[in-house]
Amino acid sequence: MHKTNLAYILLLLFSIQVLAQESLYTSLTIPSKLRGNANAVVRYNHVQIALNSSYEMSVLQKRVVTILNKEGDDAINAVVHYDNNVKIKNLEVKVYNNFGTQINKFKKNDFKDVSAVDGGTLYSDSRVKYLEYTAVDYPYSVEFISETVSNNTAFIQPFMPIDDYFLSIERSTYQINYPTEITLRTLERNFDNYELIKEEASGVLKYKVKNINAFKPEKYAPAFFDLAPKVLLASNQFTLEGVQAKVENWNDFGKWMYHDLIKDTHDLPESTIAMIQELVKDETNDIEKAKKIYKYVQDKTRYISVQVGIGGWKPFNASDVDKLGYGDCKGLTNYTMALLNAVGVKSNYCVVWRYTQGRSIEKDFTSMQGNHVFLNIPTENNEDIWLECTSQKLPFGFIANSTDDRDVLVITTDGGEIKHTKKYNPEESIQTINGKYSISNDGNLQAQVIVGSKGIQYDDKYWLETETERDLDKHYKKRWRYVNSMSIESMDIQNDKQDIQFIEQVSFNATNYSKVIGDRMLLTVNALNRSTHVPDRYRNRNYPLKVSRGFVDIDEVEIELPSDYKVESMPKNIAIENKFGHYKTEIEKIDENKLLYKREFKVNDGEFPKEDYEKFRSFYKTVSRQDNAKIALIKK
Amino acid sequence: MRISALIIALSFTLSAFAQDYDFGDVSKEELQEKFNPSDSSASATYLYKNRRTYFDYIKGLGFELKTEIHERIKIYNKDGFDYATKQLNLYKNGNTKESISPIKAFTYNLENGKIVEEKLTKKGMFNSETNKYFNKVKFTMPNIKPGSVIEYKYQITSPFWSNIDELVFQHDIPIKKLESNIEIPEYFNFRINTKGYLTVNPTTDSKTEYIRFVNKTRNQGSGYSASSTTTFNTSEVSYSTKISKYEIENVPALKNEPYVNSINNYRSSIKYELSYTKFPYSQIEYYTTTWEDVVETIFKSSNFGDELDRTGYYEDDIDNIVSSISDPERRMSLIFDFVKSKVKWNGYYGKYTDDGVKKSFKEGVGNVAEINLMLTSMLRYAGLKAHPVLVSTRGHGISLFPTREGYNYVVTYVKLPDGNVVLLDATNKYSVPNVLPLRALNWQGRVIAEHGSSELIDLYPSVASKNTITMMAKLDSEGGVEGMIRSVKTNHKALDFRERYVEANKEEFLEKLENKYNGLEVSDYAVKNDVDLSKPVMESYNFFKENQADIIGDKIYFSPLFFLRTAENPFKLEKREFPVDFGYPSSTTYRVIVTIPEGYKMESMPEPSAMALPDNLGEFKYNISGKGNSIQLIISTKINSSIITPLYYDALKEYFNKFIEKEAEQIVLTKA
Repeated sequence: MHKTNLAYILLLLFSIQVLAQESLYTSLTIPSKLRGNANAVVRYNHVQIALNSSYEMSVLQKRVVTILNKEGDDAINAVVHYDNNVKIKNLEVKVYNNFGTQINKFKKNDFKDVSAVDGGTLYSDSRVKYLEYTAVDYPYSVEFISETVSNNTAFIQPFMPIDDYFLSIERSTYQINYPTEITLRTLERNFDNYELIKEEASGVLKYKVKNINAFKPEKYAPAFFDLAPKVLLASNQFTLEGVQAKVENWNDFGKWMYHDLIKDTHDLPESTIAMIQELVKDETNDIEKAKKIYKYVQDKTRYISVQVGIGGWKPFNASDVDKLGYGDCKGLTNYTMALLNAVGVKSNYCVVWRYTQGRSIEKDFTSMQGNHVFLNIPTENNEDIWLECTSQKLPFGFIANSTDDRDVLVITTDGGEIKHTKKYNPEESIQTINGKYSISNDGNLQAQVIVGSKGIQYDDKYWLETETERDLDKHYKKRWRYVNSMSIESMDIQNDKQDIQFIEQVSFNATNYSKVIGDRMLLTVNALNRSTHVPDRYRNRNYPLKVSRGFVDIDEVEIELPSDYKVESMPKNIAIENKFGHYKTEIEKIDENKLLYKREFKVNDGEFPKEDYEKFRSFYKTVSRQDNAKIALIKK
Repeated sequence: MRISALIIALSFTLSAFAQDYDFGDVSKEELQEKFNPSDSSASATYLYKNRRTYFDYIKGLGFELKTEIHERIKIYNKDGFDYATKQLNLYKNGNTKESISPIKAFTYNLENGKIVEEKLTKKGMFNSETNKYFNKVKFTMPNIKPGSVIEYKYQITSPFWSNIDELVFQHDIPIKKLESNIEIPEYFNFRINTKGYLTVNPTTDSKTEYIRFVNKTRNQGSGYSASSTTTFNTSEVSYSTKISKYEIENVPALKNEPYVNSINNYRSSIKYELSYTKFPYSQIEYYTTTWEDVVETIFKSSNFGDELDRTGYYEDDIDNIVSSISDPERRMSLIFDFVKSKVKWNGYYGKYTDDGVKKSFKEGVGNVAEINLMLTSMLRYAGLKAHPVLVSTRGHGISLFPTREGYNYVVTYVKLPDGNVVLLDATNKYSVPNVLPLRALNWQGRVIAEHGSSELIDLYPSVASKNTITMMAKLDSEGGVEGMIRSVKTNHKALDFRERYVEANKEEFLEKLENKYNGLEVSDYAVKNDVDLSKPVMESYNFFKENQADIIGDKIYFSPLFFLRTAENPFKLEKREFPVDFGYPSSTTYRVIVTIPEGYKMESMPEPSAMALPDNLGEFKYNISGKGNSIQLIISTKINSSIITPLYYDALKEYFNKFIEKEAEQIVLTKA
């Protein structure tokens, strides 16, 4: 009797669980508040990691996702990356229609198997298996199960319940089992708005989170990686492509990288050492030496990415780069470092996240991070110099728009430390326009302009140097797109790499720039630098306002009015100043037919609460309106 | 005197021709050259491109196709470094695969006046498997600097002898000298399809080649002699091989332009396509020679013709749908809708079926051929005159010559009893009869009739896609405008709208609409007929937008189209080489009524005007009138042709300039 009861209860429990599971295969059971903005909903996701030792780890994942519409198809996400160190044990996908009936099933062999080399990489041994599936009807649900075993334990899959925009999460769980002799470090981020349940016992760590509404991208917002909730995990002992490590902090980490991955790769041939010493023998200070060597590297090498095994982490030998004349970021950085070393200039290999939207290395969390390598030259009493060694074109020490203003890991011979890279202040990212234009009695425009750009604004333009004439012509027509029927008379470009300044001299003309209306002519004063950008409008702004980089524009333009006309009315001078920046315009009368137009527009970088977004938008709107201000001219 | 001048002239010519293209003989002059004298903007140039493709007889295997490549490239600057990396795709099918010989390659640099060479080693070569059908070989040259010359040679052996790689005469960088030999034994007959603006005529020659067969005969000893003997005798088969030699010098680079359907349509090249084989003691085996052959070959393929004949899998469904309907047009549209809802396109093109129509029907997923052959078959079953149409998509280029490979897509043609012709494509949910998705709009398709004959059909639509926009706008004295906009779209404009709207996240769609006009404020947004494809799609909304007028003194200036006016000319290039391809003819009409702010009166308004493109290619009409506090504006623009040739480019550019200017013209109001 007792036995029967127990069996009955067990059966009951079991069926409840089955029921719970099955109820996920239809969109009907999705909580309504998770539907807003969602193209797909992760109903259930469980990641189970067994870190068996510092050199073996298995990962089991089971995920059920309901796809609500076509845009959500990508959320099937039945993708597994593998290489020589990662073996796929199991892959399985089941597809359910909205009644919860299974309509399709796929096994490992049904997955496409392709090389995971992207456009920028010449060769990599990493591969990817993925499922291609055409939806028959929406909504539908997909259950994805994967199991992998790896000998690399340097990267432990983080607990990252949400990994894309327009995707809601109903339930996400995570469990890692690990041997007691290993210490796990964790870092929890961005869980303020969610209830993160954590369970910890000896050798086991579990996380659980429920109900995360879909994220929707917004302009001028922090990047996804700064918004999404995540728990990062790392083991104090790990193996990377057969290389073992034991690290507790950044200092240890740096030591390990230096000794196991970098130190033995500085094998320059004697002839190269002699040549490079000869090259800099007349230079007395380290910076001048470094400049010469940087130029030498830029002239000699090019960027080619090859990632095989430990070569994904360890630089090519300097002797190889010396012989072949190419390398990836690690190889080229390391080569530059070896050359500097040869002339007694100290430099450090650095690991960084290279995203335009600045992403910092998590400084309070020692682990393998970053996706790029570049070089640091410490200087006495001055700001450090940062060198991007993969570019053949950038000026010495210039890192705007790629690795600027963020925390990076600097690896010295004594260990690792976190440093912050150069920030380009708005005042450094300046564009100056000195120009003049004249308007004929028919309203035609003839303009000459000199544009000088520095900092971030240098980075926006330096690539123009190597454009063909045809493309440059097109570029200027686009830049001044508000000037209709424009024709370029001359273009001249100077790239001053010494002072890091880009100078363009352009002259052009356009017919009917200002239109004759009866006895009048309406002239839009700002012909050479109109701000037409207005930040997108959001019905409900969700995220804080973030301006990653600021800039300043200063214009001075002499205007010659048509001889048959005189000024009837002029726009008022404007001066606006707020926390987002400032905007000033002034029109001075030089003589009867000449005006001087002065304009200054500055945008500050910074992070502001979301309530400020509308004010920021309105600042831009005002600037755009004022840049369209017109002078009314009337026939004399 | 005269003679010596001649000698000088001769020797000059000689030295100019003395350029050496033997492998390794890179000259100082080549290394010293700072830019390409005929195109100073080129970042790199093929100094020499040589290819030899020939057939080799391998005992036991038969013929193999061999292609020898020898190329010499000058790199002028850093932008040309990409040409120092080469990528080759080797095809495979099961165990049969293409293979590559060792690659011999060198980089040459001038160092202190001396030529220094650096060999490509294993370190710079990489093999990988792209997917089931392709292996990839990549190599990157060592020691590349501005000024370097690289040279490489290799040979590819292919068992797929029916497929000779396209002979390409034009690249993104210029070519100084190109030589190609294509050598084809008499057993093979290839059709030659040329494309592009360059004409390259081969000189031909022939040679005799031999296949040696060694026959081994073993004579068993008999009688008293116990020993056996083996005799070898050699027999020889000779055949003639035709050599076509292509030579061309100073080929300019091919540069891309906007509104070009596919730049490859204009790239000069020659494609060899197998038309038949005639081996000794064998029947002639035809591949293609004429359009009839092409059609026949495709039609006879089990993945095409047979698929049209299968009916069993759908008969019950179609019977159910059409049993009570007798009107053929109605039957057509019911079956068309049935296929669209029943089978979803998996994103793959193809003129041949992949899994087969039956499986596609069952699983509800198929490629282009599965979906449209199924549709054709069902229409026939229902008594309609339906045929498949072979199409080359926009990305795939144009087939001017009979070729199977020229087509990669299939749509359905129906001739209704009233004589009207309809084109259908059921791969797009929002496609309606005679509105094919843009990808299929590429010149002409080939209709395959039942008895195997075929004819060309124009794929570009003859009916213009229309957008009619009505705007009621009230201007206030601060320069703000509020009002209502209604837009009615037909054909391709409706298709395009439905693709963007129906499945989109609606809030995001609205935000996009608002931000398209720099933050227009939209309310009461509504769409009618978004899923009723039989009617034009209509969207309407109320709007508010600030700063739509300039207030200067006691006057107000504004353009009556406000934010709807065209702001930018899409045609920016000074000169254009290739036709402008709009895809379909179109017309846009604006009907605008503006109410001016109280206390103001009209002082002046733009003149009505009209202009046209030559040869009725397009027109623009601007009509405006004002009465009391209300202004009425009607603007209509038409582009009457899908394609506009470069001959009209200047006119087209000027036409855009002019109507942009006209739309920007301003109305002046003064205080009453």
